[in-house]
Amino acid sequence: MSATDRKVNVLLDILISLRSFLKGMWVTATNLVAREKVTLQYPYEKPQVSPRYRGLFYLPFNEKEQRLNCTGCTLCEQACPTKVISMTKLGAGKHGGVSEFNMDLGRCMFCNLCIEACPFDAIYMGSAYELASYDRDASVFRIEDLAQGGKRSVEINIKTISEALAEEEKAKAAKAKAAAEAKSAADAKAASAAEERQAAEKPAASEPAPSASPESPA
Amino acid sequence: MTLTTTEITSPGMTLNMGPQHPSTHGVLRLVVELDGEIIQSCRPVIGYLHRGLEKMMEARPYRHNVPFTDRLDYLASLNSNLAIAQAIERIGNVTVPERGQYLRVLLCEINRLASHLVFLGTFATDLGATTVFLYSFRERERILDLLEAMTGARLTYNWIRAGGVPTDLPEGFGERLTAFLDEFQFALDEYDRLLTGNRIFRARCEGIGVISREMAVAYGASGPVARGSGIAYDIRKVAPYDVYDRMEFDVPVYTEGDCMARYRVRVEEMRQSARIIRQCLREMPEGETMAKLPKIFKPPPGEAYSRTESPRGELSCYLSSDGSMNPTRVHFRAPSFFHLGLLPAMLPGVKVADVIAILGSLDTVLGEVDR
Amino acid sequence: MSMQRLHPRSASQAREILIGVVIAALILAALSATPLLPWHLLDPIRAYFYERPLLNNLAKAVLLVSFMAVQCLFLIWMERKFAGWLQARLGPMHVGWKGVLQTFADAIKLLLKEDIIPALADKPMFRLAPYLVFVPAMLTLMVLPFSPNLVGFDYHLGALFALSISTTGALGILAAGWGANNKYSVLGGMRAVAQLLSYEIPMILIVLCVVTLKNTMSLTQIVERQAGLWNIVAHPLLMIPGALIFFSCALAEVYRAPFDLPEAESELVSGFHTEYSGMRFAIFYIAEFANNVFTAGFAAILFFGGWHGPVLPPIAWFTLKTLLLIFLMMWVRWTLPRLRIDQMMSFCWKLLVPASLILFCLTALSVVW
Repeated sequence: MSATDRKVNVLLDILISLRSFLKGMWVTATNLVAREKVTLQYPYEKPQVSPRYRGLFYLPFNEKEQRLNCTGCTLCEQACPTKVISMTKLGAGKHGGVSEFNMDLGRCMFCNLCIEACPFDAIYMGSAYELASYDRDASVFRIEDLAQGGKRSVEINIKTISEALAEEEKAKAAKAKAAAEAKSAADAKAASAAEERQAAEKPAASEPAPSASPESPA
Repeated sequence: MTLTTTEITSPGMTLNMGPQHPSTHGVLRLVVELDGEIIQSCRPVIGYLHRGLEKMMEARPYRHNVPFTDRLDYLASLNSNLAIAQAIERIGNVTVPERGQYLRVLLCEINRLASHLVFLGTFATDLGATTVFLYSFRERERILDLLEAMTGARLTYNWIRAGGVPTDLPEGFGERLTAFLDEFQFALDEYDRLLTGNRIFRARCEGIGVISREMAVAYGASGPVARGSGIAYDIRKVAPYDVYDRMEFDVPVYTEGDCMARYRVRVEEMRQSARIIRQCLREMPEGETMAKLPKIFKPPPGEAYSRTESPRGELSCYLSSDGSMNPTRVHFRAPSFFHLGLLPAMLPGVKVADVIAILGSLDTVLGEVDR
Repeated sequence: MSMQRLHPRSASQAREILIGVVIAALILAALSATPLLPWHLLDPIRAYFYERPLLNNLAKAVLLVSFMAVQCLFLIWMERKFAGWLQARLGPMHVGWKGVLQTFADAIKLLLKEDIIPALADKPMFRLAPYLVFVPAMLTLMVLPFSPNLVGFDYHLGALFALSISTTGALGILAAGWGANNKYSVLGGMRAVAQLLSYEIPMILIVLCVVTLKNTMSLTQIVERQAGLWNIVAHPLLMIPGALIFFSCALAEVYRAPFDLPEAESELVSGFHTEYSGMRFAIFYIAEFANNVFTAGFAAILFFGGWHGPVLPPIAWFTLKTLLLIFLMMWVRWTLPRLRIDQMMSFCWKLLVPASLILFCLTALSVVW
């Protein structure tokens, strides 16, 4: 390359550089003047979250049955990779529920696995997202924080479930009593043929009691 | 008496770059020996983000392991999800429904766009062009909005599971995505005008941090780093998974092997990803999105290995099973780890400022390196 | 075409720009009315100070420093706002109307901050360094003629004085880098000195061109001799490349991108002021902006006719030109990437120095002709 060539190249390079700088400055200038500013003034303006947003959990309250959907089956507890959920069951079976349902969100990954595991639609993720706290204990959410309707619905839930359970218990007791009496009656029948007529009357009378509660415990 | 010349030497300066340095992209520590501004040697120190994820996974059922992979490559967590999901499917002989496969490709490519936009922004910031960072994050924010509409999360999605994708696309997703892609083309052109042609940017990138073809092979480089060194190696083409064999896209390859080549590969890949996304939206069949896995998933004893192309390179997952509920060993082949291995070979002789450029062009994510 | 498609500006934000333009127009109109004000009422005060030179100089110094401090606070807000808008952000919005008072709040915060000196720092040097940077920055402003009669010290060697004083700022930066006993700071300090000394040469040569053309070293005289035509219009072939070279050097002198290597945050964390916090950091910051004002004002004097201009009063013209040049510097800063140290050096020694030498020879020839 001759010396003049080199000089021409240097000059060309300068011009090309200047052109590239001006191009870039044009881009920034259009952004300065003609573009929307995308800042969201966060604490004052809140972002609109999508319907599927995975925020703070909630336990939906079933207005029809006046209780939470949760039956205390612990499927969500088993589905959780980080052992966030712990619960205290209230009874078992169809009428079963929970009296306590704690979620330690300090270790939660918001991975959605518990929600997919729930067969009763009893736990969902809502749109609340400001969950940070100064206190580790504050990151543990109890049932009254999670339940839809708060403390009131938890009380109603417990009341409904304990009533149902009590009824179930009563029915069970009645059934057991009836069964016991039937058994003793059978014994008596076996023991004495003379008392047969007397013994047969009693189970017939107590028969309506178990049928009063249509579902018997599984 | 004769005069003897004593060679004047000064001890080099040892500089600790990181783990709290603005440009080490996480908690990487580079112990750098300096002679003035010139690097004599470099030793990357990793492990500051080690959480024992692989060991944690061994103690949990297969299904529970997917959310942990979100924390590997946190800029492209759907791609990490895919690696382990594929391994689980292979070990358990699960077939993903066709719509599920299309959705996976769609989600992974969207996430690749988001990840490459972060690269673009941080790389430009490393070189001092702060404004590009804000512009690329502006576009990324819209991608995150889309992914939020689909998965409900903005960073750790956990939406590619063993068996498929748990939900179908939300209402109006396709239209929103197409509208975004239409504008994204112009955004990319704008970054080109702002950055690619810029003389200073070229001076900082061209011929800096050259990785030769042989070196890239020897050090196990993959992904954009390998493709920037002239190796046309893309798992999506070499060993297609899901429905990538039906997609039409090019694998950008540049032979220079410098920072500029790697930058160009990634920018070009964004255009190709947009192409793949459009094809997915067009060709996606109706149907189920997720195969049913048994409640108690116990794969037969054996091993499985999956290979996926994450935005950073070849992300693979190894699983071994003894027939119980938990895997006996989980291992990830993280591309960033191999790329960090290149640093001690590349850095001696360059300036301090180039360290940042080279590290930025490798686009490592420390969550993936340390696991 | 693409401009309209991407993120079009909303109507409310367009209105904000309009409001800004209106406010600027109002300020200019108010400034152009200043000659009509009853300035003669101040004559007794002027006479009082005129009789006491020592008090006079002291008053001038206090006025200058306080004016610069306030102007710096305002400029910092403006730069942040400008950068924000350019980056599709809003910039400071919280304190005061559109964040006008943000820098005041920051200054108060910096004043109240704990004064941290690293345990292994060279303490006297660490303490001294901010003032070594601050004082030259203020001294250079002293000879800058804001208007025909508003100049701190109308020195007949003003150009020489300004250049020599502004170079001593490097001493303070080296002291800061060394005194902090931090490796990043040392690298930053060394880069700063190397950069400043190199870029001083083409800068001085370009100033010499102007001095040769105007045949004076006094800054006031240089401006007065541009009364008819600004330098850049009167000698376009010499002065346009001259202004470009001067502008590049000015960017390097005040450590702004693409020459912000001494404080390159992505490489050296924060360069020479990594370890500084609180008021010492604020002093560095104010000095940086004072340097900005000085170089922009210097360029306005050398190439753009200083205070000359129609309709508006001289002070308004000078301020306007300075502000526009500062805006240009900000615009460049927020657009371009950073050079590497060796590239920056070779740019200076292989391009700027020869080019400015050639320019100087050409100027000399044109004067002799």
